[in-house]
Amino acid sequence: MTRTTYHYEGGLLVPRRKLLVSALAAGAGSVLGFPALALDSKPLKGVTLNTSLYSSPYSKLLRPWIPEFEEATGAKVNFDTPGFPVYNQRADLELSTKGAAFDAVNVTFIYSSRWINSGWLTPLDGYINDPNKTPASFDVNDFLEGALAPERGRDGQLYGIPWQAEVTIAAASRFDVLKQSGLAFPDTTDAWLEAAKLLNRKERAAGFVTDNHYGWTFIPFLQAFGGDVFRKAPDDLFPTLDSPEAIAAADYFARLLREYGPDGVVSYTSDQAVQSLKAGRSHLSVQGQINLSQLADKSSSKVAASAAWGQVPKGVAGRFPGTAIHGWGIPVGSKNKDAAWQFIRWATSKETLQRAVAAGYGSPTRRSDIDSPTYRERQRVNGYDIASLVTASVDLSAKQGHMKYRTVAAYPQVDQQINKAIELIVTGQRTPEQAMKQAQTASIAELRRAGVSV
Amino acid sequence: MPPTASLDAGPAGDLPLAGEAKGKRTPAATTLNWQRESARAYGLGLAPALVVLAAITLLPLITLVVVSLTPLSLTDPAATFHFGQPTGNYAQLLQDQRFLDSLWVQAKLSSVGVLLQLLVGLGLALLLHGESRLLAGLRTFFLIPMVLPPIVVALVWKIIYTPDISPLHALLEQWGWPVRSLIANPDTALWAIVAADVWQWFPFTMLMVLAQLQMVPRDPVDAARIDGANRWQVFVYIVLPYLQRTLVVCALFRLIDSFKAFPLLYVLTNGGPGTVTEVTNFYGFIQAFNFSYWGYGSAIAVVMLAIIFVLSALVSRLGKNRGDAHAR
Repeated sequence: MTRTTYHYEGGLLVPRRKLLVSALAAGAGSVLGFPALALDSKPLKGVTLNTSLYSSPYSKLLRPWIPEFEEATGAKVNFDTPGFPVYNQRADLELSTKGAAFDAVNVTFIYSSRWINSGWLTPLDGYINDPNKTPASFDVNDFLEGALAPERGRDGQLYGIPWQAEVTIAAASRFDVLKQSGLAFPDTTDAWLEAAKLLNRKERAAGFVTDNHYGWTFIPFLQAFGGDVFRKAPDDLFPTLDSPEAIAAADYFARLLREYGPDGVVSYTSDQAVQSLKAGRSHLSVQGQINLSQLADKSSSKVAASAAWGQVPKGVAGRFPGTAIHGWGIPVGSKNKDAAWQFIRWATSKETLQRAVAAGYGSPTRRSDIDSPTYRERQRVNGYDIASLVTASVDLSAKQGHMKYRTVAAYPQVDQQINKAIELIVTGQRTPEQAMKQAQTASIAELRRAGVSV
Repeated sequence: MPPTASLDAGPAGDLPLAGEAKGKRTPAATTLNWQRESARAYGLGLAPALVVLAAITLLPLITLVVVSLTPLSLTDPAATFHFGQPTGNYAQLLQDQRFLDSLWVQAKLSSVGVLLQLLVGLGLALLLHGESRLLAGLRTFFLIPMVLPPIVVALVWKIIYTPDISPLHALLEQWGWPVRSLIANPDTALWAIVAADVWQWFPFTMLMVLAQLQMVPRDPVDAARIDGANRWQVFVYIVLPYLQRTLVVCALFRLIDSFKAFPLLYVLTNGGPGTVTEVTNFYGFIQAFNFSYWGYGSAIAVVMLAIIFVLSALVSRLGKNRGDAHAR
């Protein structure tokens, strides 16, 4: 792994390598078109930055590199990385009070609309467009447009710099078994059902598994069946969970879980679902690529040699991969906004993200990283190009706009109704029709309570 | 306890006071004056502690009640101090079927859980009451669940209840009694949580009862035995009355704690499948933390507080009556 040494130059953090090359080329007075070079200056000396990001592969990679930022800038960085739900609750509370506890935070996808449009985050365009604060090499246009879109507010300004683009993809842990049965990787919802049925109990493994956050894992099936969460998010938020398409999709999805899922599948978290696949105890899954790409990890996966990947199944209405973008943002109450921006700029710079990709990071947001040979090579497993699946899914999502439902401020409430509905169907407490009608009524009530006119 | 005038007067009591010098102060007046002074000193000494206590207990409580009277939602700061409909949240609670269901789930979890904790704790305490190294070792062993962090307990039970990695499920299957996932089955999920909760907290009852058993006097027990009472009769008529207050205290503590059950529910079932394990506390958490309805969540907390107060009063009364009866 290459270690990059950073230095401050005219208030900008640049890698030492780039700095030396530029200094040789242009002289010490004008490096990369920016003000005077100050190799030993520590412009953030005395500043303590409180940053928070949920625990993830990226945060684990970033943590050991933070001392380099501290060394180069003089800032002290407190880097808090709680679990995802804990982070969200803490950040939601902190942002809503416009407190100064955090200087840089993760803009969680599901909350992005709520946090941005409630005025809890600082617009970043001023920082990005100021050459004294951001060098041209930062190149915001290098980020996938599909990743930048959820970070924009209604005012068109950018409130977060994306560091993770997660998409839902499909995987088969024991594709060899499927092939032996004469089937190709399932591409349609019908083929999925057929494959799950055929594989179920083969090699003592369940046919299908997914994690129990159904407001995320069920939606690609719901939309493939021609249903949706809302009539037309974000403009028309009338829920459509009791439509015939939604009921049919719920019936289909619950059947996959009930008939072909492992015992107790409704209690499976994403970690459990991944472990089940990696241990060869389940065959097929639709989940985030961060989870499913772990099947290729030879050190922990028993199915690394036999795993196969594909796009989420296509239904009568088309293909609708889920995407979830997470970015760095600055709370409006932060007392160290400039310093926080320098930290974010460093954490999402081409150099840092390239380094992450080289270290195995699988969800980059920069086109240059996704197109890089390092990433392409790493994401090519058993003849499958996971990187292409990711970019195709992000692009499709940006083109179709089918993820707009997810950044609706009141989605967390509806998300839970969907979770409950699927659980009720799988455990036989309600029929698909009853459960989805109940979810519809409860969602309307929740949306009204949230002040949405439906 | 405030010092009394007679005790504290000491040498000062012999000194002539201003009033006495003029012959206007009686000994009674002097005593009264001392009492007043000492009460004042007592009050002043106590004041800082009372202020701190008020700050850390009363203020949050008042805030909780005040917030419960507003429609406060984090996404709508304008509603923070809007008291237009102070009983709105409470009225809505009465119409909220999910909340009413959560009360019933709570009632089942608390009543069965606390009862089992008392029975298992009492039973084991009686078995382990004695003087031997083995019993001492076992007593320590049985305390382990209680000292584990609740989240660790939840994770341990998550493993036990997950069929494909569970040693319990593997064992049962080996014996020819395969069991379907208990936490994914709406008929068994709540009882699976009760079992885990009992496992964690029966040692509390066991510990308290063991301590009380040390204090049961030998004379009545010996007398009963001489009179021909068998073990059961000795337990029911001699030992149990001595344990009643302890058991009531245990029940009270565990009842209050059962309303705070959270890690087990969060990790094992997340309130599901559906809402079969969604207790009131968990529902309040969802409203406040997942949906940001702080006013509504606070109203749920206030209702829970009221229920706990009533139940505590009832249980305490029960203990008092029984205790008094025993004293007579």
